[in-house]
Amino acid sequence: MDSVRKEHPDTKLLELLVCPLTYAPLTYDAEKGELISEKARLAFPVRDGIPIMLVSEARQLEDKAPGSAG
Amino acid sequence: MSKNRATADGGMATSYGFSSVGEGEKQGLVNDVFHKVAKRYDIMNDVMSGGMHRVWKDAMISVLNPPKTPGWRFIDVAGGTGDIAFRIVEASRKEALGTVLDINGSMLGVGQERAEKRGLASHLEFVEANAEELPFEDKSFDAYTIAFGIRNVPDIDKALREAHRVLKRGGRFLCLEFSEVQMPVLDKLYEAWSFNGIPKMGQAIAGDGEPYRYLVESIRKFPRQADFAAMIERAGFSRVNWTNYTGGVAALHSGWKL
Repeated sequence: MDSVRKEHPDTKLLELLVCPLTYAPLTYDAEKGELISEKARLAFPVRDGIPIMLVSEARQLEDKAPGSAG
Repeated sequence: MSKNRATADGGMATSYGFSSVGEGEKQGLVNDVFHKVAKRYDIMNDVMSGGMHRVWKDAMISVLNPPKTPGWRFIDVAGGTGDIAFRIVEASRKEALGTVLDINGSMLGVGQERAEKRGLASHLEFVEANAEELPFEDKSFDAYTIAFGIRNVPDIDKALREAHRVLKRGGRFLCLEFSEVQMPVLDKLYEAWSFNGIPKMGQAIAGDGEPYRYLVESIRKFPRQADFAAMIERAGFSRVNWTNYTGGVAALHSGWKL
């Protein structure tokens, strides 16, 4: 039996998951273990393979450098 | 403090059991209840329903009748411990794919561990999120289920609109919830058991009667069958109806996104 804990959310789920504020798609930052909503500038944590899609738990991303492509 | 049932016009968002709370205060209080009871949640359901919750849940799955073919997706909201999702996956002969959503990490932890033990983990995904703000695209699911969860959601109308949004056309909404007993004698017995028996049992089993007092009071506050059906219709659902179980101790509400 496969007893390995999933380190990242399943890709088939990622197809459905969107940002709860903007409904925009998310990208997964494997290094930080976060799901990034570019539009809302929020990073949602993933703990024990469970994405935590609560705005209250999300990390606010710093503003982009001026002039960078949006 | 009011012991009257909330109606289709509102009242659940600012009631924590029989106590009145401010706008935005309910969620934190409810979270505390479920962090406290997560590990004993299923035992607690046995105590509160006299074991009947198993029969009602099985009946709910029969009504849902998930297809035994691949490609069918469901979301079970407020389903942290996995009790409903496991039944659906098994009823589909392990064809259905499900998302278990809960606002409470403690409940999800219990569910994820159980899914792995039962060999169902590959059919299920666990997501911590708010029923009022579902992190899914429109038209993502073939079915939306919620069992004994909706009365704990502060803004029930918003959660129902979200249910409608994430369902595909032709998708099914099923909600199992404690309701209003509509049988003489049984209603009096049930009331006495609820307010005297259950908090004492909670105290004995979990060492804390207070979370159970909330659960009992919130059951008593939840809109009666016809009022809740009106709320489901208002969210956009068609062919809304309900079935009483055990004289109305619980009721299964059904609607379709057509």
